[in-house]
Amino acid sequence: MNCEKIREQIPECLGGRLDKAARERLVEHLETCAACRTEVAELNAVWRALESMKAADAEPAMKLRFMEVLEAYKAGAGQATGMPKASPRSGWFVPVHPVWQIALAASLLIGGVFLGRYESWPQPALPGYGAAPNIEVAQLKGEIEGLRQLVALSMLQQQSPSARLRGVSYSEAMAQPDQQVEQALLYAVDHDSNVNVRLSAVDALQKFAGNPDVIRAMVQAIRVQDSPLVQIALIDMLVQLNAKTETPALVKLSLDGQIDEVVRQRAVWAVQKLAGQKPTGQKPEASK
Amino acid sequence: MEDELVMREVRAGDVGRLEVLFDRHSQALFRYFLYLTSNRSVSEDLVQEVFFRILKYRHTYQPESGFRAWMYQVGRNVYMDHIGRNKGEVALPPEATDIRSTEIPPDREFQRKQEAVLLRRALAAMPSEKREVLIMSRFQDLKYEEIAAVLKCEVGTVKVRVYRALRELADRFFALSGERAS
Repeated sequence: MNCEKIREQIPECLGGRLDKAARERLVEHLETCAACRTEVAELNAVWRALESMKAADAEPAMKLRFMEVLEAYKAGAGQATGMPKASPRSGWFVPVHPVWQIALAASLLIGGVFLGRYESWPQPALPGYGAAPNIEVAQLKGEIEGLRQLVALSMLQQQSPSARLRGVSYSEAMAQPDQQVEQALLYAVDHDSNVNVRLSAVDALQKFAGNPDVIRAMVQAIRVQDSPLVQIALIDMLVQLNAKTETPALVKLSLDGQIDEVVRQRAVWAVQKLAGQKPTGQKPEASK
Repeated sequence: MEDELVMREVRAGDVGRLEVLFDRHSQALFRYFLYLTSNRSVSEDLVQEVFFRILKYRHTYQPESGFRAWMYQVGRNVYMDHIGRNKGEVALPPEATDIRSTEIPPDREFQRKQEAVLLRRALAAMPSEKREVLIMSRFQDLKYEEIAAVLKCEVGTVKVRVYRALRELADRFFALSGERAS
């Protein structure tokens, strides 16, 4: 056997996977070939040293996240197929089965949009074996998007704030803005009991900035907030989105004595910023 | 119960059984992504995404195929999508806390740590397809047949690729450390 064939077997030998006969042939070759002996010595040194690179395990929270998704999926799939299920936070986007069915229909519609949009994706994300035409890949990507929407909506209804936060994250992972998710996020900004969830929902709404209704809803949300942090985050987002049309509302806010002083100062800063003037207040980053 | 039988149940609609497969494979999958990305939170997200896709595409699973190879195939696609989305981001060598040092005498510890740093650098500098095949073979304990199924190539090709990847890693490692094995 030549040196090249022998060398290709070295990793298997080092990993203890070479069968006895092949191992004996390799040893026999090494007895007469100094170059291959050097090769084995070098590769063995690196192979053994790789032992020190064993990666650490993931945190137990990874399992918790997975279980939340699985439960959300089961709950969402159950509702989508018409199974009644009580919701601890029902009443905002009315998560009873007909609406879920509409949500599912919407997700399929999104899937259809994806079908056209991602036909040219170079790397198919196909899990099964064998090649599939691009159109199937696009369809599968659309289905993933639908599932993501289902899970995001379901998680946004969970009682645990951390689960709702992850629901917001799922909504951010959606490539295509969806109206159901948009409404769920706006509801979270207005009504979620947890400030962190509200702040994350504000960030997630950036994706929906193309819709003027969302901008207006964000302005209205500033007034109903009891947290100055969230109010400031909303104002910052309006600046980030360059929502010049909302300048009058911000001016009004800055003059409203019922509003927290810090928030009013922020509104003044935002008005200056939107007008293209040099702001005299603090920078946006400083508030978060 | 074997993975393939559990996956059959998942495929048949008992999606709760996916928890069994998650318990068996999520840590290995996490480490696979950690070697590739050097980022713990990204790796955790990618693991979630893999099981998310398994859940969604459970009907595409072929019972006669090994579950582990199928799962890594999904994992590979998830990783490709991830790097496609994050072009331009350079993976940094993992933090010291991500690497678990083995039980070794104190006098050799410094040398081992240095070695580990250089190896991480050498591995991170390798082309991703070579790094990937080496990780599958060395750390994930995948058989060549399984790697061939994941990469959709012949077993002989895997053998050559693993050897070449290890050779390149050795060259990079020795170049960084300024020595050769004797």
